[in-house]
Amino acid sequence: MARLELNALTKRYGDFHAARDVSLDVPEGEFLVLLGPSGCGKTTTLRMIAGFVEPTAGSISIGGNDVTRLPPWKRNTGLVFQNYALFPHMTVAENVAFGLEMRKMSKAETAEKVRGALDLVQLGHLADRYPRQMSGGQQQRVALARALVFRPDVLLLDEPLSNLDAKLRHEVRIEIRALQQRLGITAVMVTHDQEEALTMSDRLVVMSEGQVRQVGTQRELYETPASRFVAGFVGRSSFLEGELRDGRLVTSGGLAIEVSKPIHGPVTAALRPERIAVSAEPPAEGTNVFPGTVELVSYMGGLIDLHVRLSPSDLVVAQVSNQGGTLPAMGDRVFASLGTPAVFPASDPHARGH
Amino acid sequence: MTDATANAPARTGLTAAALVGPATVVVALGVLGPLLLLAKYSVNKYDPYEFMISAFSPENYVQFFTDPFYLAAFWTTIRISILCTLVCIVLGFPLAYVLARTQSRFKNLMIIGVVVPLFVGNAVRAAGWMTLLGSRGFLSVSLENLGITSGSTEIMYSELAVILGIIAVNLPYMVLTLQSVIEGISRNLEEAAFSMGAGPWTMFRRVLWPMALPGVAAGTILTFILAMNAYATPVLLGGPEFHMMAPVIYDQFQLNNWPFSAAVAFILMASTLALTVAAGFATRQRFRA
Ligand SMILES: Nc1ncnc2c1ncn2[C@@H]1O[C@H](COP(=O)(O)OP(=O)(O)OP(=O)(O)O)[C@@H](O)[C@H]1O
Ligand SMILES: [Mg+2]
Repeated sequence: MARLELNALTKRYGDFHAARDVSLDVPEGEFLVLLGPSGCGKTTTLRMIAGFVEPTAGSISIGGNDVTRLPPWKRNTGLVFQNYALFPHMTVAENVAFGLEMRKMSKAETAEKVRGALDLVQLGHLADRYPRQMSGGQQQRVALARALVFRPDVLLLDEPLSNLDAKLRHEVRIEIRALQQRLGITAVMVTHDQEEALTMSDRLVVMSEGQVRQVGTQRELYETPASRFVAGFVGRSSFLEGELRDGRLVTSGGLAIEVSKPIHGPVTAALRPERIAVSAEPPAEGTNVFPGTVELVSYMGGLIDLHVRLSPSDLVVAQVSNQGGTLPAMGDRVFASLGTPAVFPASDPHARGH
Repeated sequence: MTDATANAPARTGLTAAALVGPATVVVALGVLGPLLLLAKYSVNKYDPYEFMISAFSPENYVQFFTDPFYLAAFWTTIRISILCTLVCIVLGFPLAYVLARTQSRFKNLMIIGVVVPLFVGNAVRAAGWMTLLGSRGFLSVSLENLGITSGSTEIMYSELAVILGIIAVNLPYMVLTLQSVIEGISRNLEEAAFSMGAGPWTMFRRVLWPMALPGVAAGTILTFILAMNAYATPVLLGGPEFHMMAPVIYDQFQLNNWPFSAAVAFILMASTLALTVAAGFATRQRFRA
């Protein structure tokens, strides 16, 4: 339960930067999620916080104390791994007691805390089992209890849910979040699952190529992505490429799209699928309305994805809600209202846009 | 359909028998046969003219346990075997750990480095030790030239030389056994222990060692048996005044005293087995608690 600060944290392997100038300020009690494509340095960053990877440069402080040079066992961090990492030769209760034993807590107090922690994850009745006698979801909850029981300053989770099936993932996700909030523990979690990131975090960090690309709440990242990369990575976007002419983005397919803030040179417009309206007749009002042809209909129950071709080189994906009645079909002629899209310089996926 | 299900268990039974059968026959003929023969020989009587007279007497065993010469060889064998095995554990564990955990590109080369000594026969190896440890050997001359000792240092033909020799033979077995077991222990388990506040020593004691115990047991049994039965090393490095069990058996055999030689072989086998089982029990007791 403490504030965590990373200052220009860098890890180099030879010439390769696994993490570069990672600076983050995680206030006490915040749940921060590191999100990014595979190999972008999430695990490396987390392991530097835990003390298993020595930073090439930069510093880490927990609760105002510089821990950069401290070994892992002096950092008071709780760690939850993807593969649970429970000690197979110890019972569930012994696993949970381990951290308390290391802190030389009395037998009676240890027993009480272990019981409390197991009750917290609703596994009090399985205290005497061995890890191999439990399901994956139960094991991960034990791992969580084990990491929380000694009240770590920071809880670190590296893809804790990716070994679980979809239903369990959902359950344990809610459980982790509820516990973290109830205990007011500062937590940093790594995932490359968008939904997980969006539903669990207070704030998100989007990383790529070892660098932090944007930090913000889900809403900030979704509504005002800083770059084309973030727009594509957080939530879905359709991209239209073109040149800016007279305040409009003109695509190679000949569409002229009105944009909010004109910038110069080649640009990319990012369009959120649910912000695109699709209708059979030309709508009475709306900006950037273009005729097109439905190329693909993907039915997902309550929502339907429509791939609409606006020109030989311009395709957008619209998500419409399923109101019953007749559904658009492949080959239908429709009108797509694009709204006013955000635009980014096309040259660099990480360049700031408007 | 029902037929197939009904037949399934019987068929697996047959298959299992077919698979285990040949091995069983080989073991029965190759191991149990000679063993029974040996058991019979060991209660026979020796006669200088007839060599062996069929009998059923404990005479050979009594002779062994009442003769200070043989008793000394017996205790020396046990003492040296235990010592060498302990040293192999202490030296082998860190070595195996490094081999198991290294990220180096040269890992395979390192493993080959551990195995290569096994390609050299015990006798050839002992010759190597002689050039290293003998009175005009490398070590002695070096110490003398460095002014650390005056005159030659003789390590050859001593208990120390035998101990060094046996450790050198047995260490690779210990290292390879432990390495494969440690590789099976996830690094995450160690990290979990560290993150919960365990220092390296505590982590080792509470996580790594108990989890590696089956491997330690296997390696211990292997190296202990090898040490108890060492022949070439004690003969070549220990010299004529040094006696361990395996050479004693062979000497008696050479003297055509098959009954006594068989009895000594039996004693060696039984004590090896007893000590291995006792060690197994001791560790289990300690680590259950
Ligand atoms: N010990 C190492 N030596 C060399 N390169 C390494 C080492 N550890 C990690 N890397 C590299 O650093 C980069 C970042 O790795 P990291 O494990 O942090 O990625 P990640 O974001 O966790 O990816 P994933 O989502 O796949 O788990 C990768 O390209 C990886 O190859
Ligand atoms: Mg990772």
